[in-house]
Parts: sequence; C-alpha cells; structure tokens
Amino acid sequence: MEHFAAFAARLFGVALVALSIFVSIETVARKLFNFSFEGADELGGYVLAIGSSLAFVVALVDRAHIRIDVLHARFPKRLQAVMDWLSIVSIAGLGLFILYVGRIVIVDTLAYGSTAPTPWATPLIWPQAAWYAALCLFALASIYMAVRATVHVINGRLDQVTAEFHPKGAIEELQEEMEDLGRR
Amino acid sequence: ETYQLKALGQPVATGLIQKNVEQPFFENFAEKTGIDATVDYKPLDVTGIKDTEQLRILKAGLFDIVSLRMSQVSRDEPTILGLDLVGLNPDYDTGRKTVAAFQDKVDAQLQAKFNTKLLGVWPFGPQVLFCEPEIAQLSDLKGKKVRVYDQNLANFVSSVGGTPVPIGFPDVHQSLARGVVDCAITGPSSANSAGWPEVTNYMLPVAFQLALNGYGINLDTWNKLSEEDQAKLEAGFDTLVEDIWTYSEELFDDAVRCNIGEEPCETVKKYDLKLVEISAADKDIIGNAVTEISFPTWAEVCDKQNASCSADWKAAIDAALTQ
Amino acid sequence: MGVGVVFTGFFGMMGLLLMSFPIAVIMVVLGVIGGVLLYGWPLLNSMGPVIWGVQNENILTAVPLFILLGELLLRSGIADRMYGALAIWLNRLPGGLLHTNIGCCSLFAATSGSSVATAATVGTVALPNLKRRGYGSRQALGSLAAGGTLGILIPPSVNLLIYGSLANESIGQLFIAGIIPGIALTLLFMVYIASESYFIPASDGEEEAKVPLAMKLAALKHLVPPAIIFAVVMGSIYFGIATPTESAALGVVVALAFAAREGKLSLEFFDNCFRQTAKTTGMILLIITAAFMLNVTLALGGIAQTMTAWVASFGLAPWALLMALIVFYLFLGMFMDVLSMQVLTIPVALPIVTAVGIDPIWFGIFIVLMCELGMITPPVGMNLYVVQGVRTDGGPFRDVVLGAIPYALIMVLFTILLIFVPQIVTWLPETMSGR
Ligand code: NA
Ligand code: NA
Repeated sequence: MEHFAAFAARLFGVALVALSIFVSIETVARKLFNFSFEGADELGGYVLAIGSSLAFVVALVDRAHIRIDVLHARFPKRLQAVMDWLSIVSIAGLGLFILYVGRIVIVDTLAYGSTAPTPWATPLIWPQAAWYAALCLFALASIYMAVRATVHVINGRLDQVTAEFHPKGAIEELQEEMEDLGRR
Repeated sequence: ETYQLKALGQPVATGLIQKNVEQPFFENFAEKTGIDATVDYKPLDVTGIKDTEQLRILKAGLFDIVSLRMSQVSRDEPTILGLDLVGLNPDYDTGRKTVAAFQDKVDAQLQAKFNTKLLGVWPFGPQVLFCEPEIAQLSDLKGKKVRVYDQNLANFVSSVGGTPVPIGFPDVHQSLARGVVDCAITGPSSANSAGWPEVTNYMLPVAFQLALNGYGINLDTWNKLSEEDQAKLEAGFDTLVEDIWTYSEELFDDAVRCNIGEEPCETVKKYDLKLVEISAADKDIIGNAVTEISFPTWAEVCDKQNASCSADWKAAIDAALTQ
Repeated sequence: MGVGVVFTGFFGMMGLLLMSFPIAVIMVVLGVIGGVLLYGWPLLNSMGPVIWGVQNENILTAVPLFILLGELLLRSGIADRMYGALAIWLNRLPGGLLHTNIGCCSLFAATSGSSVATAATVGTVALPNLKRRGYGSRQALGSLAAGGTLGILIPPSVNLLIYGSLANESIGQLFIAGIIPGIALTLLFMVYIASESYFIPASDGEEEAKVPLAMKLAALKHLVPPAIIFAVVMGSIYFGIATPTESAALGVVVALAFAAREGKLSLEFFDNCFRQTAKTTGMILLIITAAFMLNVTLALGGIAQTMTAWVASFGLAPWALLMALIVFYLFLGMFMDVLSMQVLTIPVALPIVTAVGIDPIWFGIFIVLMCELGMITPPVGMNLYVVQGVRTDGGPFRDVVLGAIPYALIMVLFTILLIFVPQIVTWLPETMSGR
C-alpha cells in the first residue's frame, strides 16, 4: 500500500511539474510571440481529473481525509475503534459508489464517441479511461483497508484498528513537519 | 391527473431571454400550454451542473425538459453544430431557414442516442466583434489577439490572420482593459451588460454565429403524455420559440443602438462605440468561411459519429438556400 | 421544503461530523439519500457527469499547483531564511520579534497556502529565539497562531480559489480583492503588538541590539525569492497576462529555478514535496467533489431559496444580516474544520447575501476572514494545535488560546469595519478591471 501511494504521489508530482512547464511556455509565447498551442487549459483539466483521483489514494493511505476528532479523542477506547472501523468502511462504500456512477460516464462516452470541443479535438475516452482507472485504484485501496479493519474487528483486535485507522490529528502531522525541518 | 415536470433552464447569468421569456413560460406552464401540469424550473447555474453534461443529464431522466446550450452539448453529438457553423447564419432570416431545414436531422440523432425529442431551436442572437484599436474591416484583425469562445470561431479568426485567445466570459473585460486581447466576440447585449464598451471603441456587427439553444424533452416523459397533450405541448413550445426569435431580434437591435449611443435605447446602458459598416468584402469573407473553414473541419468530426452527417447537411442546406 | 427540514438536515449532519465520520462521506450520503428521496433514481445516474465535471475543471487545477508552489519554497529552505532576514529588519519596533512573526507569516502567506507548514516553520525558528530574549509565552504563541492564518487571506489562497469555483466568481478578482485586507490586517496585528508592548512593557522582550546597515542590506537577498514569486504570480494576474491557473504554473517554474539555485533538487526533495502535495490535494479535491454532489441536491430541493426567503422574512438590514452571519460562523468555526465549513455553507449563504445586494467578491473575503477566525478558536482550531505542538516548554494549551484571543477580536472588529467600509475590499479589483 505504502509503495503504491509513493508511486502515485510521484506520478502526480511529475505530471504537475510537466504541466507547469508546458503552461508557462504557452503563457510566455502567447504574450511575446502571439503564438499559442491552444490546449494548455484542456491539458490542465485532464491532469487534475487523473491526478486528483490518484491523490485520493495518497490521502487515504496517509489518513488525510478529514474527520473531526474533537469528540473522538474523548470517546471510550472501544467506541473509538468502532468509529475508526465504520469510517474506513464508509470510505470503501464511497469508493464503490464513485465507481458505479463513474462507469455510466465511461459507457456513455464510448457510446457517443464524445470529442472535446477544443482545438485538439481529444477523444474524451482517453482522459476519462485514465481517470476511471485511477478511481478504481482508490476503490480497491479503500476496500483493502476496510477488509483489513474488519478482520481486526472480527478477531477482537480493537486497539489494532485504532492504531491503523484513527484520524490523524494536527499533532501527528506536525511531528512529520518537524522531522522534515530537521533535514533541511 | 396533474403532471409534475422538472425543467433545467438557461443560466440566470445569460440575461433577459431567460428572465423575461423562458422562466415566465415555465412558471405559467399550464396556462401557456393548456396542459394540466406544474413545472419545477431550475436555472442551470443554480444547480452547479456543467452545460456540457446537459444531454447526459437529460437522458438520465433527472430533468424532463432541458434548455440545451447547443455549442456546449455538441461535445456528445457533433451533428448539432451543423445548425450554427461560423458564417452560416449572417442574419436572423437565414438562421430561421437553416434551423427549419436541419432541425429534423438533429432531432433524429437526439431521439436515437439520447432518448430526447427536440421541441424547438432559438438564438441568443448574432455574435459580433468588439475592438479597442481601430478596425475598418475583418482583414484588420491581422496580428491582433481576439477572444473567442469556441473552436469553430478560433479557426476562423486564424484564417483572417488573428490570434484566437480562449478566455472565460467573466475575465474578458479585464483582458480588454489590460490589452491582453485587442478584440472580443459576443452578443451586443451581453457585451453591454459586462461593460465591454467601457474598454473598447469599435463594434463590427457582422454575425459570426447566432448562438443557438434548444428545448429537449425526455422521450419517456413525452410518451407518457396523451396524443392530445403532445399536440398542445408542441404548440406551446412552437409559440415560445417563436416569441424568443422575435424578442431576440428586438434585443439585438436595441443593444446595437445602445452600444453606439442611438435612440431608442431601452434594454441596456447607453455607450458611444463607433459602428463599423460591414463592407461587401467582409460579407464575402464570412460567406466563404462556411465552405472553406467551418464546414470541412466540422464534417470530418461529425461523419465519424454519424456517417451521413455532412451529406445530410449539404442536402438540407442546399435545398433551403435555393428556395 | 420547509426551514424545519433544512435545520434537521443540518444538525443531523453536524452530529455525524462530530461522531468523526469522514466529512466527504457524510456530504455524499446526505446528497444522494436526499436527492433520491426528492428526485428518484435518475439522480444517481446524473452523479457521474457531476464528478467528471468537477475533477476536469481547469480552474481547480490551480489548487494543486499553488500547494506545490508552497511546498517547493518551504522544503528548499527558502522560506526558513526569510525569518532571519525579517528579524533583522523588524527587531527594533516596539514589540520586536513578535513583529517578525507576523511579518514572516504574511510574507510566507504571500507565496503559500498551507497554514500548518507556515506555523510549523516559523514557530520552530521563532520560539527558541523568543524564549531566549524573554518574551512572554502567551504573546509569542498568540502572534504565531494568528499570523499563520494570514496565508488564506493574502493571495494566492486555496480557500479563495474554492470560494470562486463554488460561487462562480472570477478567481483573479478575488485574489486582487484579498491584497488590501491582507495587508491591512497584518498592519493591525502589528499595531496591536506595538501598543501592547508600549502600555504593558512587561510583555516585551529585551531590547534588541542594533544591526549594522550593511548586514541589514545583505539580509535582503533572502527576501528576494519570495518577493519575485509573489510579483510573478500576482503581477501576471493583475496585468491580465495569465489566468490564475497559468500564474500558478509560472510560480511553480520560478520556484523550481530558485530551488535549483539552492542546490536542493534531489530525489528525496521531490519525493517529499510531491507526497505532501498529493496528500493535501486528495483531501481537498475529495471534499470539493463531494460538495458539488451535495450541491445538486441542495439546488434541486430549493434549499437556498427556502433559506433566502426565511432570512428575508426577518427583514434584516444588510449590516444586521452580516453581523448575524459573523456570530453563526464564529460558532460553526469552533467545531468545524474551516474547509468543510466553507464548502458546506457557501451554496446556501451566498444567495441569501446577494439577495440583499451584497457584492459576491466582497463576501468571498468575508468568508475567508471567518475561516481565519475558525483556525484560532477552540476547541477545533488548527493553528492553535499546531503552535501548541511546536513549543518545547511543555506549557498548557490555555496559553495559546489566551494569546490568540486578542487577534480573534481584531479579526472580528476588522470584519465589522469591512461591513461598513466595503471599499477596502472592492476598490482594488474595481480599479483593476477599469471600472
Ligand atoms: Na496565501
Ligand atoms: Na475553531
């Protein structure tokens, strides 16, 4: 899971840097030479669609999807574990739901042969297929984690659930920041 | 029993046609059509739904009737674009002929692919040119940066030597003020409301496109209506669409007068743009744009989705224009 | 749909939130269940196009780009060095290093959007210095917590971007609108520090040693990279050369060049920046996507109209309505994370305020100020946690809260000032667009 998140983050970052360079060239060329590739904004939209779906996975692995933990921290230990379990199961449910409704988009795009109304006239299925694949990864990752949490619950290892799935508070995030600060 | 219909309208931001004709029609639907029905009407920009997704939303059945933005929804059905190729409709009369001739082909595609019946097509009105530096004719666009809103138009601007720059409508005013673009294209009424005459000096009222829209109804809803009600509905929408064609032309004429500071000026603010006369040469350039630029590029895309697309279009338009 | 149903839904949602369910899940569940009840199963089939529509929105591409920009500056150490440079310049004002905290936070803010990272960096560098020179810990902690909130008001700001995409307003205008209030609030904070130090000298640290001018000038070079990045990003927007997304891309490229000059471009550096960017982007985009899904249901249910009519029935003057909203947001901000607060309230609050003639650009600044407030009000206040986490003296959380209270009061008073003098917000964007 960790390896996969690391890979997804790299892919996302490289895509952002490449997009930045492309868009910068486009912007400067348009200002100075009246010349345009006429597609930078279209490309930006696709990078966001695919990249943010990959980023869902990274946020999932890093437990960054926001949960309000003000009461959670005061719950009895058992209830904390139950909430952590329910939360990860509900995210898996969300992942499946997005897959279900996203499939309709893909099926329609294939049926209509939809083409972006832009200079590049990109067949929409290309970016959408990559987008959907990334959403599949998010669903798979969340299901894997939900199953893992459920197995812990069945075996009565509630503290293991808390250890792996409790909401990550600001303090924990800060510790990571401090470590990085020490390195630079 | 009373029908409960859901309608998705034009964005509120599009102005007077939505406010004064479309919304009142849906809010007084029973009275306007004679059908025992109430309509729950929601403007597009209130819902957060993207206009490019309208046909899919309509097919999904979330709404019974949708006010389709033709240029945007052509992403899923390129045949639609054939109604409004750049240069095809230089004025309202030609526009009516084009729509009458090609509407059935579009309807057939919508019925086959989107479970949608087309109830009528209407224009926002001619999309014309506003410039900050002096221009006398289209060839003066050479070397100038021109704000465009779609691909068809971008190709045309390139063909006369200009640089097309796609900018979202809300940012055009600032771009003109800062000289990021020299010229921009939109309807004279929208331009006026957005304050473009504050930052431009010239208006060339040559119609690049008519900015067409249409009403689509989900076929499941349509088939639930009795034959009598179907006839009433069609008649009601025929009247609505006819009203909009007339109102659109009034708005256009009024906005042109307002922009150049003439009376009567009733719908928008008065400014003092210089009106550039349309030369015979410009009429030729626009007229030739169809055969030389907009039709060939469109035909290639459209025939991929709908094999008889360009052939149907040629037959229909030739017949209409030789009448 | 009646007001009662709306309130039931709202409090039900708050309940689920406090139970610690993921906020994105709550929004989607409410949106889908409510929508299916109202509109039947077709609603479900319409959600796919809505999701693609949000994730494919070019305007939102600026969100990860601005986050990446901040990460590059932070992790290359460029930002750390700003503190030292500013300290030399602001030291001798009454209140000394506390000004450096505020000044450094706002300069940081001008290039980044992440408040955790801002407060962590500034806090770590600042607190030992502050302690050594004998500043009261309450004052020091408060200035750090409050200074960290400036990042979302001074552009570029991810929160303003999100407001713009939900409200359908020009991001460029919103960014420009944030400049003057951002500077004004920074100055107000500094005035407060100076006057506290003047009237209650005990709170102040030791007198600072004088720094020779040559050294002062030499320190300026550490301010050059952030200044250039701010100039590139905001200049390209102000002069209309670039859209906000393009300006973010330009900023990223310039920041990469600076990081390269620092000799920082290692694989580890990139890995770290990319991981943080991906994590934050994933978190934000999932919430925005969920918000748009919920928004369809809210719109179809006519929630905004219901609430607008309900609020209008009280016949409040615009200023009174806004005062009521300040109280509402102050309360909400105590218990909610500010991003969630923003996406949940904007679709309903915006129609209510525009109905009484309030400018939507102005309201964007108002909302962001309310978010800033939420970041330093307990019990849920991100910046309070962070500053408490940075300190090494192990003192009570109460110190941070008490230290932040004066700044929270200043923010509320400043917001009230904006209500009565809206030109502070609207003048610059109107001038820019040539009105
Ligand atoms: Na900022
Ligand atoms: Na708070």
